[in-house]
Amino acid sequence: MNYQPVMGLEIHCELLTSSKVFCTCRNEFGGGANTRVCPRCSGMPGTLPLLNKGAVRLAAKAGFATNCTVNNYSAFDRKNYFYPDLPKAYQITQFDSPICTDGYIDVTGGRRIRINRIHIEEDAGKLVHDDYEGVSMADYNRCGVPLIEIVTEPDFRSIEEVQDFVVQIGSRLKYAGVCDARMEQGSLRVDVNISLMPYGSNEFGTRAEIKNLNSVKSIGRAIAYEIQRQSEILDKGGKVLQETRRYNENHDDTKAMRSKEEAHDYRYFPEPDIPPVLFTDEEIDAIRREMPEMPHRRFERYTESYGLPDEDAKLILAQKEFSDFYDEAVKIMPEYKLISNLMLGEISRLINETGRDITELNISPADVAEVAKMAADGAVSKGSAKEIITILFNEGGKPEEIARSKGFIMSNDTSGLDAVIDEVLATNADAVEKYKAGNDKLFGFIMGQAIKACGKGANPGLIKKTLSQKLK
Amino acid sequence: MTLRDLRYKLDKKEIGAVELTQEYLQKIKERDGVIKSYITVCQDGAIAQAKAAQTVIDAGNSKPLTGIPLSVKDNICTEGVRTTCASRMLEDFVPPYNATAIEKLNAENYVMLGKTNMDEFAMGGSSQTSYFGGPKNPYSIDRVTGGSSGGAAAAVAAGFCAAALGSDTGGSVRQPSAFCGVTGLKPTYGAVSRWGLIAFASSLDQIGVVANNAFDTGYILNTIHGYDENDATSSAAAKGGYTKLVGSDISKLRIGVPKEFLDGSSDEVKAAVLKAADFYKSLGCEIIECSLPSLEYAVSAYYLISSAEAASNLSRFDGIKYGSRSGLGEDFNELIKNSRREGFGDEVKRRIMLGNYALCSGYYDAYYNNARRIRTQIRKEYAAIFEKCDVILTPTAPTTAYKIGCQENDPVKMYLADICTVTVNIAGLPAISTTCGYDLDGMPIGMSLTGKAFDERTIIAVCDRFEKDFERKECMR
Repeated sequence: MNYQPVMGLEIHCELLTSSKVFCTCRNEFGGGANTRVCPRCSGMPGTLPLLNKGAVRLAAKAGFATNCTVNNYSAFDRKNYFYPDLPKAYQITQFDSPICTDGYIDVTGGRRIRINRIHIEEDAGKLVHDDYEGVSMADYNRCGVPLIEIVTEPDFRSIEEVQDFVVQIGSRLKYAGVCDARMEQGSLRVDVNISLMPYGSNEFGTRAEIKNLNSVKSIGRAIAYEIQRQSEILDKGGKVLQETRRYNENHDDTKAMRSKEEAHDYRYFPEPDIPPVLFTDEEIDAIRREMPEMPHRRFERYTESYGLPDEDAKLILAQKEFSDFYDEAVKIMPEYKLISNLMLGEISRLINETGRDITELNISPADVAEVAKMAADGAVSKGSAKEIITILFNEGGKPEEIARSKGFIMSNDTSGLDAVIDEVLATNADAVEKYKAGNDKLFGFIMGQAIKACGKGANPGLIKKTLSQKLK
Repeated sequence: MTLRDLRYKLDKKEIGAVELTQEYLQKIKERDGVIKSYITVCQDGAIAQAKAAQTVIDAGNSKPLTGIPLSVKDNICTEGVRTTCASRMLEDFVPPYNATAIEKLNAENYVMLGKTNMDEFAMGGSSQTSYFGGPKNPYSIDRVTGGSSGGAAAAVAAGFCAAALGSDTGGSVRQPSAFCGVTGLKPTYGAVSRWGLIAFASSLDQIGVVANNAFDTGYILNTIHGYDENDATSSAAAKGGYTKLVGSDISKLRIGVPKEFLDGSSDEVKAAVLKAADFYKSLGCEIIECSLPSLEYAVSAYYLISSAEAASNLSRFDGIKYGSRSGLGEDFNELIKNSRREGFGDEVKRRIMLGNYALCSGYYDAYYNNARRIRTQIRKEYAAIFEKCDVILTPTAPTTAYKIGCQENDPVKMYLADICTVTVNIAGLPAISTTCGYDLDGMPIGMSLTGKAFDERTIIAVCDRFEKDFERKECMR
């Protein structure tokens, strides 16, 4: 029997602050174990948390990026549990009064996914198990790394919706400078709550929570597995257990971690060491004004106002810096399609070949705008435009000087053209004859020979025009 | 003699800082074996600090506390000096940093004689829950010192330090000061940074001062107060000048006497406090009978809030990163259980269980949330009293110091004895306790003056005025 899957997400995102959320240790990924630990983030007796206001602002931005209300009042609570990677034995989080509430994102297919809340919390450390020595070691570098948790309503009905939502969240948070959204590094972590119900029903089934999903692909596979697993249980008349399950990428399955009965009572209560976070409406507006344009808005602009194909728009938007580069270039020279082609063609190819970042190139958006202008004006051919980009990429320089020194500037002088083309036709009499006999494909060959004969400065448009007349 | 007089003597070279410190160390060596007011005595460290202080004094750069020998309660972190909270759990804990209050004292080149005894993790009213053995009352060594800053109060009473830093969560500075016949100040919540004070109940804890007189408590508060960015709950409203009103005319003040506090106290205590009220009346003060109707719920609310916070604060002592680790345990859950079973004493375990119970999802509303409602109500009732009064006069404890071993085994009775002090912490107000009489056995009776938030200077002045006309009896010193 087929069932309707019902899903909700809990997404943890590491915030891009320079220091941790309650101390001044650097907030970075990697490095030697326990190299970014201080008395405060390791919960030394007598220490107190010091709230990083930057983390609060980023959490507010996450709210704006997802259509949430950013609250004037939010407060911290303690979530108590024992685990060796948690030196205080409690996590500081927001339970009763989260910073953001009531947001949404529209996903592919047009359905709206409601976001219940976004709250701020601290990350825990990591345990490193050494099976050879039979010991476990604690690395507290990650203790106190600032996180937000985005909690959705159980509004998802398909794998595609879940995947699109996760991609959109990652992209929006990157655009807002909130999170680098690198799932493989764990800076964006997704837990999926999933239950099944018969189609047409309004009553949700018992849910299982799947953890440890570190790519959009894994999310799809884990959900597919879980739908299969729960369907089989229900088909046999069994009951799905409320439990937490871990997805195993290698086996492509999920295994039970702990049941509802084993779930902790976290004994939440208000964190007495941190006063509530209070924002005036003016302060909230000021943060809102710092928000960059979100990628879904840019998509609308690129496709609707600039006339770019959807696929091209998506490719440009995939990286914020790339899209920013494009926006700067088209602001100088509104050749939307031409600049898009140069960036998705030549520039992307060069970036991929060299592994360099868009922000560290010899080429500025103004350069690309200038090249595009020359191509649009017919000063250089489109082929030359690409070559100029390559030269700029490799050697730097000024587009117009390169065009001149390399002889890319096209002549619009027709005198002399007739003679050269006549000579080309004479040299290739064979091909001309066959073309005239009906082999249309040979026009390209003859055109190529003509361009070669005329040299780089020739205007391909003019050559084509002259050639067409002569071949009639 | 006040600390200011001592300052004068040091600056006039009537006594040297090293000589002064040695005098205290000698007294401790000779007599603290009986009293047990110290857990750790810093013999060498104190002499070194005194020498440094003398250099500063000789250079004419002395500050108020330069060369003044103080003791520090053993739940306040001192860099390089073990800080045990009188618990087996932290028997070997040597903090790598100083509490803010200690940093401020260091900046004036004070001298730390040692770390004083207390109830384990500051939980108790007798100091008898100390893992190192409880201190004894210098007025009568078969009696308790009160607690939890019992070591601090006994050390001041016995002359083992010029004054002491303590901490007060529900009366832990004031009640032992009353029992040991000295003066104890609990400042407004937020007046002194809690950075480095090992937390018992974070929303109630406050570092305070035990001293020979009211002036000295203000003299030390002048140094240790102030907003600290390391403690988000500390306040810029703490502005200093705490001894400024000492000696000024207090005859226009209105002193409230809430009847509920007297009702539960022993006849001797009640009589002594009413006599103090008469003294103020004779000065011209207006004595106003007032009421704090929610007092009957205060002890329950206090124990729910403080135990809940304590249960969470003490969770870090699990033998993994902090706290002594048990040698037993197959997995980390077992290791944590055994470490906590071995490391904590009974009273601490009782509070942890009580606190966790109050926070359980099924009981949270009935216990913790109701306690918070009472907290709000008590604050309102204090605000109402302060609309018509400037200070409030109450007993510090319903009785005087009792005999060691007679009450500690009845937790409820012990908890109820906190009734006179806990509301001040619940409301975050400042209060000072001083001796206002002696019972038939010669044990000191304490009275407390409670002030408006951040108005320590008024209660210090009012307390000082009483002390000026009151003759204290000497104890064993």
